[in-house]
Amino acid sequence: MRIRRRQFLLGSAALITAGAAGFRPASAAETDLRQIFWGGQERAKRTYKANDLYSAANPSTKLTGEFYAWDDYWAKLATETAGGNAPDLIQMDYRYIVEYANRQALAPLDEFVGKELDLADFDKDQIEGGKVKGKLYGISLGANSVASVLNEAAFKEAGVPLPDNNFTYDDVMTVGEAFNKANIRGGMKAFQDGSGVEPALENWLRQRGKGLYTAEGKLGFDEQDLTEWFQMWKKFRDAGVIPSPEDQALDTGGPLDKTMIALGKSAQSFVNSNQLVAVQAIMKDPVTISAFPRIGKDGKGGHYRKPSQLWSIASASKHKPDAAKYISYFINDKDANLVLGVERGIPCAASVRDAVAPTLKAQDQVALKFVSNLGDLLGPIPPPPPPNAGEVDIQLLPKSQEVAFGQATPEEAGPAFVQQAKDILSRKG
Amino acid sequence: MTVRPIGAETEAPAIGHTVIPSRWAKFWARNGAGYAFLTPWLLGFFGLTLGPALISLYLSFTNFNLLQAPTWVGDDNYVRIFTADPRFLQSLRVTFFFVLFSVPLKLAFALAVALLLNRGLRGLPLYRAIFYLPSLLGASVAIAVLWRELFASDGVINQLLAPLGIVGPSWISNPRYALWTIILLSVWQFGSPMIIFLAGLRQIPQDVYEAAAIDGASKSRQFWSITLPLLTPVVFFNAIIQGIEAFKSFTPAFIISGGTGNPINSTLFYTLYLYQEAFAYFRMGNAAALAWILLIIIALFTGISFLTSRYWVYYDE
Repeated sequence: MRIRRRQFLLGSAALITAGAAGFRPASAAETDLRQIFWGGQERAKRTYKANDLYSAANPSTKLTGEFYAWDDYWAKLATETAGGNAPDLIQMDYRYIVEYANRQALAPLDEFVGKELDLADFDKDQIEGGKVKGKLYGISLGANSVASVLNEAAFKEAGVPLPDNNFTYDDVMTVGEAFNKANIRGGMKAFQDGSGVEPALENWLRQRGKGLYTAEGKLGFDEQDLTEWFQMWKKFRDAGVIPSPEDQALDTGGPLDKTMIALGKSAQSFVNSNQLVAVQAIMKDPVTISAFPRIGKDGKGGHYRKPSQLWSIASASKHKPDAAKYISYFINDKDANLVLGVERGIPCAASVRDAVAPTLKAQDQVALKFVSNLGDLLGPIPPPPPPNAGEVDIQLLPKSQEVAFGQATPEEAGPAFVQQAKDILSRKG
Repeated sequence: MTVRPIGAETEAPAIGHTVIPSRWAKFWARNGAGYAFLTPWLLGFFGLTLGPALISLYLSFTNFNLLQAPTWVGDDNYVRIFTADPRFLQSLRVTFFFVLFSVPLKLAFALAVALLLNRGLRGLPLYRAIFYLPSLLGASVAIAVLWRELFASDGVINQLLAPLGIVGPSWISNPRYALWTIILLSVWQFGSPMIIFLAGLRQIPQDVYEAAAIDGASKSRQFWSITLPLLTPVVFFNAIIQGIEAFKSFTPAFIISGGTGNPINSTLFYTLYLYQEAFAYFRMGNAAALAWILLIIIALFTGISFLTSRYWVYYDE
């Protein structure tokens, strides 16, 4: 109520000034920006606080935010977009931005750059991450990378050294066996079963000089790669260094509270670096992150810095310049980023990063340093995935489960998955 | 159908032409007020049920993807679903398995409890309410979440089994048992068929039992020869309603498998697959086609049930 009264006062003040100056009160017109994003309570709290700061500095702009869990988010956004009712500001994901941009649901942002949208201080690779066919459709809200989240307490209890950035898949076996010898917490395993985790597969393929997809949108790996991938995990499974198929299947690939590390089935899970904050929020034991395993001592280039999320503007928005101005504030304003922290990933504007770094808690510093110090693990950002890539991702999990539960051998599942992926990608409708 | 001479068709409207207006006026005079009062429902039916249903029929022949205007693709969606869609077949397998086991088990359980409650228990309303409770919680998300926790590897079920020396599997994440946990959840919600059975049991005249008892028929003989035959109309009704519900079942599988239908697609219900096509992959045209196929499957199931009913349902003449 108080806000309304203040807005009213401001409005009437503007009206009077405008009247005195003898022109129409255009500046007093309220812009209502609708904003939608996925995430949890913590993200919403931080975002709304930053929104309040923005409205305080720009009283003519009002922000109305909504947030949803990941799965609900895409259904909601697609329905609203279909209804011609898309919010002005849309939080985008690297996987979906191509589809939304190609379907003309997003507005190109190039015309605002240098005007409403200030990218002078912004990391170049992160600008590239928001481009589709050469046009800018999204502004990265934070850089992140895949990472192994590790239960420090459990590794200490087992008396096994914590995996670092030089850790290899061969070490998974030896460290896993040492971990099993210690037999802690009712048979906790050192590592999760990563055979159904697409980012883990991608990281492993990239170290072999391949990838999930080629620049032409074709499948970037073959039967042999996938067979070897399933064979490697079968070896770990048979040796008992990863959880049983049943335990692993409790993780449906969705919410973090169903990951093996959160369920206490293993001391490691494959996640994203910015999720360190979220995993710690649901765990009592202290956790930290390190790189995904190398395929050998000289394995490199598996990781890449990708936009954790992006702000996009709906093509149907009536307030595109205002929305661009808000995005500029969101990525460049120091006060706003002190509130936002690294919850969405590492800020992409260098000056903001410098301002935020000293204020971070020790654990947030870990995430910041991890993404900045990947060294030879870091490779180029892969091309955006082709249409239907999301379905290929989802089908990897059941295929890996066929091997895990003994319904298929790696030699059968590898070629079968490649064929399935090709069928999905060739689908038009 | 018999072939009608062409003349018959051209003649019929000519006759009708003179009759319809007066009939129409009479009809309106008699029922007009009724339809006026029905208007809100009619608006809802045409605007919110029939209209969207017809639009979905149209969309099933398009490649609508939510973001762009639909374009006509003819029967492409249907052809692909029937010829080149392994997940469609898997979802049919899962759904038919579910219907085949959950419906009879649920009805048997509901009937057993109804028989127990029908023995003139004191405090019957209380028991009835208690047994009905799971059905009220029914398809809710909370129950599915609870089920997930009960049947997980460290869940309550396995903790109860542990003292008996049984190391239970992780029921919900093992492809051999995952679907059974969902069947069990469905059987547990036996309340509404039970209430209907209870009402049906009350309809059976007591004198039939007295006559049977005098003739020396045992309790089980009485059940098989009197109770069950006279209850078949109620069994039929319950089977139809529960069958349709089972075909449409969505929430438990969605929650328990985290929306994936895993492990190894063993809980990929038809509706879950339809949902994935629509809202995970944005293939609205294809999803609309799947919805119409489900409608036809349910219609066939109901039709066949009605056709066979004359051989096993006894109506009191």
